[in-house]
Order: sequence, then C-alpha cells, then structure tokens
Amino acid sequence: MPFTVLNSRMVEAGVGPGERLFSQRGAMLAYRGEVSFTPNIQGGQGGIGSMIGRRIANEATPLMTVEGNGSVMFGHGGHHVQVIDLAGETLYVEADRLLAFDGTLQQGTMFMGSQGGVMGMVRGQVTGQGLFTTTLKGHGSAAVMAHGGVIELPITPQHAVHVDPQAYVAHRGEVRNKLSTALGWREMVGRGSGEAFQLELSGQGTVYVQASEEKL
Amino acid sequence: MTGPVIHDVHTLPGNDNVNPYAFSVDLQGQWFLQKGKMIAYYGRIEFHGIGHGRLDRLISTSFHSPLHAADWVVAEGQGKMLLADRAFDVNSYDLDEGNLTIRSGNLLAFQPSLSLKQSIIPGFLTLIGTGTFVAASNGPVVFAEPPIRVDPQALVGWADCPSPCHHYDHRYLRGFLGELRARTGIGGASGEEHQFEFVGAGTVLLQSTEQLMPELATGEVPAEPGVPGGGNHGGQSGSHVPQLPGNLGGLSRRFGL
Repeated sequence: MPFTVLNSRMVEAGVGPGERLFSQRGAMLAYRGEVSFTPNIQGGQGGIGSMIGRRIANEATPLMTVEGNGSVMFGHGGHHVQVIDLAGETLYVEADRLLAFDGTLQQGTMFMGSQGGVMGMVRGQVTGQGLFTTTLKGHGSAAVMAHGGVIELPITPQHAVHVDPQAYVAHRGEVRNKLSTALGWREMVGRGSGEAFQLELSGQGTVYVQASEEKL
Repeated sequence: MTGPVIHDVHTLPGNDNVNPYAFSVDLQGQWFLQKGKMIAYYGRIEFHGIGHGRLDRLISTSFHSPLHAADWVVAEGQGKMLLADRAFDVNSYDLDEGNLTIRSGNLLAFQPSLSLKQSIIPGFLTLIGTGTFVAASNGPVVFAEPPIRVDPQALVGWADCPSPCHHYDHRYLRGFLGELRARTGIGGASGEEHQFEFVGAGTVLLQSTEQLMPELATGEVPAEPGVPGGGNHGGQSGSHVPQLPGNLGGLSRRFGL
C-alpha cells in the first residue's frame, strides 16, 4: 500500500484486510472506513527482545499499529514529509523521524558506532543521533519527516557526498559514513567557520538532506 | 536565479495569494478583519473598530457576534491590502449561498456580504451567505468528503455538512484497563481514541498537522438552559463546555509509552 502524497506535509495510506501499518503515535489526522489504532508498546516489530534492544538503543519511539479497512491521513508537527519507496534495500533513519511505514518492512536497530571507531562515537554525538539508528529493510514505503523540504542526493563510488550533520535526514543503500573534521587553529581560538564537522557518505546509494539545520 | 519579485500597486494580485503566507485584498468598500492581521496596504484605507458610530449598523447586518466585536476591525476605502498571520498558510474561500463553520482562531478576514455568527459548538464561527473570506491554517488545507473521522486538533472547519459528533474508540476506553490507560497513559494510549465524526454531504477542511493555532475567544454565549457552552459560571455540570480528552496523545508521549 503505497503512500499518496496529499501535500508537502501530509500523506494518505490505504489499509486493507490483513495489512498493517506502523505510525508514530498521534500522527493520524483523519481516516475513512473502519480502522483501528493500537498502541504498540514494543515500539515496532519483533518480540520482547527487539523491544529491549530498542529501549537500550534509545530508538524506541512511541508507535501504533494501524489495521483495518480504509484509508488514513498522516501528518505530524507541521514537518515536511518525504515518502521513500524501498525495493529490497535498507533505509537508515532515526526512529523519531519515522512518520509511518509499511508493515511489510523489516524494522531493526543498528549500532552505528562500529563504523569508524572513535570517530563513529563522536559522529553520534555531533549529529545528535546517538550511537544507534533504525533500519528498515524490504519492499514497501516509509514516510519520513524533515524540517523544511527534503533534497535527495545520489551517492556514487566516484562522488562522495559531504553533509552537515544537522541537516542529515536518512540514507539508503550500501553507504559508509564517516565524520570528517576540519578542525584547525581557527576553531581553537573561536573563529571557526561553523562547519567544522561534516558527514562524509561514500559508496552507492542515496542520502536525504533537509533544507534546515534544525533537528526535529 | 531570479531575485525576489517586486510588487507595486498594479502588479499585486487582486483577491489572491501573493505567496502561500500572504493574501492581497482588492479593497473597494468594506472588509472585516481580525485585529493585527493587516501587514501592509496601498491606497486610502481606514481601520475602524466595530460598534462605534456609523459602523454600528454593520453589526446588525453582517456581524452577529456582538460579544467578540472587540477583536475585529473594519477596513474601509480603496486600495490593496495585504493580510498575513504569523507565517501560517493563508487561503481564500468563496461561498455561494453557502455556509461554512471554522475554528475561530483560523479566520482572518471576510467580506461584509457574508454574515458571521457564533456556532453552537464552542470555539467555532459560522459564515453564511455569498462572498469571500480568508482563513489561515497550520500547513496547507486538505479538503475531504464525509464520511470521515478527524483528529480534533487537525480540524479547521466544515462546509454544508451537519455538525460533527464525538467518536470514541471504545475498545480502548472501556473497562478498568481502558480507564487506567486514559488516566495514566500506562499501557499505551495511541493518542487516537477520540475523533470528530462527520457524516452527510459536504466538505471537511483539515490542516496538515495536529498543532493547533492559538484559539481566539469567541465570546461567551448567554447562560441559558439549553444553550451549549452557556453557563460557564459553574453550577450545572451538564451544560459545561465538554472536556475533550484529545490531549491523551500528549500525555502518553510525555510518559514515553
């Protein structure tokens, strides 16, 4: 059930019998038909183990399960919404940016600190993402929130992309990310450019960037 | 890369949006507007409070809400007037012998050919007649047709259809566990236990987020038996303004459940 984009901040999704969607709690704006919204204590798929994993990783955003027969409109906080269709790849996104996603997508939690050792840890601090991120894998769609519009930048092996950590929204594909620093004596004396930290994404895939440096 | 578009009195659109956040009124005569929503104007325009002197007549013809007249002014004259409201999306709507009920905080301005009345639903105003009005919303407005159930915070207004009723998801509200969930948020409230349900023929206006615009007091209604929202001075709890449990979602989010 793909998402229909109603406007820059609102999407509509159909739910049929036997299908289910996950959405952030309180993000439903309206619905038609007989649809039920069940609070999902586990914060998504998997069993209790996955739930504990998400709690530890601080990726446990309140989710609800949407089931029934009808269509539901989603929107949250006036943020812009970007629909990302996945065909077997993996999407890496912060859990609190997920507005809604297909139940057919496999949800997981990934330790990002393993990429790049100590710099990986620093990366988590600087981007405010922490060390963990949520992964969605499989065939289906996800609606991701961003402050301001979303720009899609392709990453190819020849062209790595540098992103301001605060503007980073999500990425997908076979992408390595690394925090690159441009710290010099200017930063030490307080005359920095304000762009000392950048996220370098290399490999094959896509990165989504928001048109704002404000976190959600 | 083009620079910013520079408007003058002739290139400003007449009764149309300049951009999603500002609306230009081609004023020939009178318009009602909420205080403080005019950002600029060309021409000779005077702004008067309602209910003084010769404008008193207007109250009886098109402004039937004497109790919140203090929040409105009449713009009178000839020229182009720009309206905006805290960078919210602004849209104009045309009514043709119709009626539309809108949340009081969302209405910015209207033509005097429309008449404004207080809805019997507290916090809402009804516009009746033929003419144009301008309303703001937090995010673009989506039009939907009933039957539909709407998050109370996402509702902007409705046209032509009967007033909504409350819809509760009884599976989650009933019983001891339901009560516990509702009061504490423990056990998980989906935040979607309560909606406004619309049936019949008409159009429902939704804004794209559940963040409300600050509400404007619509004035009190007479404390009479049988008047919804009346009798705000305590006493009979039966006629109290209904307490909407619509902020359950906020509660549960705070609990992190």
